[in-house]
Amino acid sequence: MEKTKWLEKAAQAILDADEAAAQDIAEKSLAAGMDPLEMINEGFAAGIRKMGDLFDRGEVFLPGLVVASDAMMAAVKILEQALPKDKQDQKMGVIVIGTVEGDIHDIGKGIIVTMLSVHGYEVHDLGRDVPIENFVTKAKEVNADVVGSSAMMTTTQLGQKKLEEALKAAGLRNKVITMVGGAVATDHWAKRIGADFYGESPQDTLEKLKERLN
Amino acid sequence: MAVSHAIASGMGGMRTAGDLVARMQMTRGMKIQEAKNYVADKLNVSISDLTDPVVMTEVREELEIGSLNPLPGCLKGLEAKMRIAEVLDIDINCIRRLRNKGLL
Amino acid sequence: MGKIMTRMGDGFPVEMSENQLRGDLAAGTEDAADRGKISPLSKEELQYLFDIFNSPYRFVSTEPGKEVVLSYDAAPIKLMRAAVNVHRIQSLQIHEKLLGADTIELGHIDYSFKPVKPIVGTEQTVLEQTLLVTHAPLFYGAMPNLGLYRQPDGPFPNPSELMQLGKIDEARQSYEMAVEDAVKDIVYVSSAMYDSGADGINMDTTGAAGDADFLAGLKAAEILKQKYPDICIELGMAGEFVLGLHGELTYHGDRLAGMYAHDQVKMAEKAGVTIFGPVVNSKSSRSCPWNLSRAITFIKACCEVANIPIHVNMGMGVGGVPMTAHPPVDITSRASKAMVELCRLDGL
Repeated sequence: MEKTKWLEKAAQAILDADEAAAQDIAEKSLAAGMDPLEMINEGFAAGIRKMGDLFDRGEVFLPGLVVASDAMMAAVKILEQALPKDKQDQKMGVIVIGTVEGDIHDIGKGIIVTMLSVHGYEVHDLGRDVPIENFVTKAKEVNADVVGSSAMMTTTQLGQKKLEEALKAAGLRNKVITMVGGAVATDHWAKRIGADFYGESPQDTLEKLKERLN
Repeated sequence: MAVSHAIASGMGGMRTAGDLVARMQMTRGMKIQEAKNYVADKLNVSISDLTDPVVMTEVREELEIGSLNPLPGCLKGLEAKMRIAEVLDIDINCIRRLRNKGLL
Repeated sequence: MGKIMTRMGDGFPVEMSENQLRGDLAAGTEDAADRGKISPLSKEELQYLFDIFNSPYRFVSTEPGKEVVLSYDAAPIKLMRAAVNVHRIQSLQIHEKLLGADTIELGHIDYSFKPVKPIVGTEQTVLEQTLLVTHAPLFYGAMPNLGLYRQPDGPFPNPSELMQLGKIDEARQSYEMAVEDAVKDIVYVSSAMYDSGADGINMDTTGAAGDADFLAGLKAAEILKQKYPDICIELGMAGEFVLGLHGELTYHGDRLAGMYAHDQVKMAEKAGVTIFGPVVNSKSSRSCPWNLSRAITFIKACCEVANIPIHVNMGMGVGGVPMTAHPPVDITSRASKAMVELCRLDGL
């Protein structure tokens, strides 16, 4: 089978959220001599990216994403065994995320957490109403690559600015990427407070994050 | 911001007949044109009069259906709503409540 | 070729060439048509939008005779937010007499049905006193806000956390239990307000917590309509499509997740809703012409199938209005005029 066919089949297994098919394709593609890293990045991950796009358009729903993610994880587990030791069990990045103190809105943040996990990031979700110092402590503890904060209201949005300042004070700001989200956040707000980027939607967040981590 | 909408495309509230047209949407589920026609007919004015504050101030004062600068002795608030219910021939919930309490 | 001054979706000014403006208008409608599987705006409609954006005037308005009903949601809360120290009743008097409100709405600062329930008696008294001194039709408004029914704010397991653990069935059960509790609260508070004389109930920002939130609004509306056949219920949405956080909830056999405004309004009609308030979110990183063209495409499709009055949401960050606390009059008036005239709206 041609390389493109293998990649298409892998992506389709994820779109179908079919764990058994994903495992079968992973095994057979290895036997056929396919590069496992390529199968992960260009095949199965492409399927998950498409799922994320469909979620953004209201054509796929959160439980469907979770099931597709399970299928992807099962396939990746098989493919990883064929990778060199140093490439095994690599995470896309370590993320600490939460809704800032005083804000109890966590539905949007919960969606982002699911999407990031589905895409292979190691996510530490601090929940909602999170004191600023907790973001800093956790970021240190897990050696985070990314610190994300959510705020739903103009009254709580200032917490995102305080987080930037706290990360600077702790000497972490140059070591992490910061991302902000929430109903009232914008690109301009991110620039104004010194955050690295604003994630407008789950898909937008994933794209910007990937770009910056690369 | 809402004031921008009020001036750009709103009917004008109590300055005009906006509240009355809104009542027809709320009580009879009328779409905008039907509601305007209904109110214009009941007030005996033209459709364009409905958003004219000069015409509507006079109409509202004469009918005592609530006006921006109420004159002494004219119907106001709940009293004016009793008259609105009468003029528009609709049930207004708070007026019905008074009736049910035997106050009307 | 001259430059046209317009704004980005976050409200900041931007200059565009005629070609850029036309390009953004076309891209906006195509995006909506593609997502909603609806018709894009016609060439004539896009030209009409172009002319509005190209107008040299700071403020534009509808033609006389095309005005629509303007309802203010959560009006007293907005004055509180602006730190204007007036009582809610005075705030509503200001809205009906000075701010051109065709309807007024009383709401509590929490603006959710659940926290109002234990203080409903106090709210009823305020509403009853408001009715004595106001003239415009008075709504009582609040949000279904299913977020308040999940732990730690509510009794049910947090579905976001369950979903992250892959416990899909448990997450769905939690949503379903939350719907039942929310419906009870909405019906309880709304009944109290209607018994006190409110002209209508506004369920605002419905769907904010996904398909279960929308279902709660619909079920509550259905019960209230059966209980009070004359009640006016306005059901306003939270986003342009219903987020599928449960994914399998249905209303009269139709799956709610993924529904855009033109499908949502049919559900609202089935539930007995009197006025429907669709929402289209503005993207802060795209231009206002792109956002407005896109929003009008969705709303027009909704108005075309609606049998009930449509009052589109055009506040901060929705309906082509930029995401900024103080949307400028130039862009708000353009959005207002275009939305009203192209969609044949019944109200805002």
